[in-house]
Amino acid sequence: MTDLSVKIGSLVLKNPVMVASGTFGYAEEFKDFFDLNQIGGIITKTVTLEPRPGNAPPRIAETASGMLNSIGLPNVGVEHFIIEKMPFLQPLSTKIIVNVAGKTGEDFVEAVVRLEDVDRIDAYELNYSCPNVKEGGLTFSANAAIAEQVTRNVRKVTNRPLIAKLTPNVTSISEIGKAVENGGADAVSAINTLVGMAVDLGKKRPKLSTITGGLSGPAIKPVALAKVFELVQNLSIPVIAIGGIMNATDALEFLLTGAVAIQVGTANFINPRAPLDILEGVRDYFDKNRIDGISSFIGSIKT
Amino acid sequence: MSGNKILTEATVKHLEEIAENIFRMHLYEPHIAQTSHAGQFVNIQIAQGTTIFWRRPFSIHSTNPESGIFEILFNAVGRGTQVLKKIKNGAKLNLVGPLGNTFNHAPHLEEIIIVAGGLGIAPFKLLLQDLRKQQLKKTVFFGVSSTANLCCLDEFSRLGAKCRVSTEDGSKGYHGFVTDDLQNYLQELPDSSHRELLVCGPTPMLRKVQEIAQTLQINAQVSVENIMACGFGACMGCPVQLAHPHDDGKRYLLACKDGPVFNMDEILLDD
Repeated sequence: MTDLSVKIGSLVLKNPVMVASGTFGYAEEFKDFFDLNQIGGIITKTVTLEPRPGNAPPRIAETASGMLNSIGLPNVGVEHFIIEKMPFLQPLSTKIIVNVAGKTGEDFVEAVVRLEDVDRIDAYELNYSCPNVKEGGLTFSANAAIAEQVTRNVRKVTNRPLIAKLTPNVTSISEIGKAVENGGADAVSAINTLVGMAVDLGKKRPKLSTITGGLSGPAIKPVALAKVFELVQNLSIPVIAIGGIMNATDALEFLLTGAVAIQVGTANFINPRAPLDILEGVRDYFDKNRIDGISSFIGSIKT
Repeated sequence: MSGNKILTEATVKHLEEIAENIFRMHLYEPHIAQTSHAGQFVNIQIAQGTTIFWRRPFSIHSTNPESGIFEILFNAVGRGTQVLKKIKNGAKLNLVGPLGNTFNHAPHLEEIIIVAGGLGIAPFKLLLQDLRKQQLKKTVFFGVSSTANLCCLDEFSRLGAKCRVSTEDGSKGYHGFVTDDLQNYLQELPDSSHRELLVCGPTPMLRKVQEIAQTLQINAQVSVENIMACGFGACMGCPVQLAHPHDDGKRYLLACKDGPVFNMDEILLDD
């Protein structure tokens, strides 16, 4: 059986299949569907310093080959996260990556400082790219200088691996990628959702309360492949792929393009066992094609 | 106690049109049939195509634990249900369930009063099955636009309920809104205590029932309909606003996980 382990900085995953923030709750929601310890890593729903109620309904809309969401990062806040959500995650043997967001750069730093005392957090993913939060979100990843500075400030307070999650809603994603690399990020993950809009003709209004939201699902996979490819070409740090991964073929395409790992996102809503199905499909592919090591496969696309 | 939610395949055993454009589907899946209770739902994958991306949630209409069959009821109006009504016997449907919470009435009641509008009737056959052995009066107020939309009445009677029909066109029963018939009924009672309302239907009807329940101080539980993607609390796409948050801010529960059944005075009803 092929060794599927991959390295992201000092973080070693037993396989490259992770689950994307905001699509997997705090993992407990999925415990009835498969053995969570099988997959490479779990990235939590975003945690912020203070609790957030989230956006007013309607928050989601079905679209062609995908969906729009404007959830607005509802969460219990870092203190309650530690007390209420971590105890389920701590005994798991998969990697636990906590996704953190903030209204300000200081919020990111403070939230991470608070999480530093907590056992069993293997890495942080910095959510620079949520398109659905009024107070910022996008500003962190749409401005290279700010993204670099926030990353540098967080870097100062933790030795745990840092993954910067990037938005595709910018002119040049690799410019932002290079900035967070300079700031000390160990990896980037891309892409977050694309800004989109859906209209309800009958009600003559937008389908989402916030008018626009983030598009995800198979509809965005070609965009994600292009952005991942661009990042792989331009950065020295590893790239983790997100964007419309529904099955093992999708995951393998991203690995071939150069991503060291992948995150299953919207697929979790459609098939709650998708991460395990994808992992098994990836393993089968390597076994059937007698590929010795995953590292020789990653980035081996012929261009 | 309800069973764990599972991802499974159910076999379509029978599909019948029981009223105008209203279909009842019999599905074989023993875990769902044996562990589900009234109010819970299944989230069914109808197609894996470009236009029907999400699963579709359906109330569990009834169960037969011995045969492993459960039923769903649907009105073939949307893109998903248009496909579902053409599905052949023997087909497999991938589904997640049982999901959500259940109706949970207070003990020692004299009467359970079900108020249903249109397809809001769906969860109440299972409720009456669950209550079959309980010695209390069961009354069903069922409002539809016309006789053609009526269904389920014989079964409800067999399950020990007294049914009162309202039609908006006056083609059967009370001529007008079901909520008016309900209000008349409740006002004629010498005492409305030891009664509980269990409600499901369109929002304007829910609003009216909420008002009646508040005025007469009758406890009411409502099963809400909400668009949802996952059905088990992961996507957080189906918020229901709390009526009385502990602070000034807006607070939300999730229809799929905290509901779909809520105490009516606990939530704000959406458009």
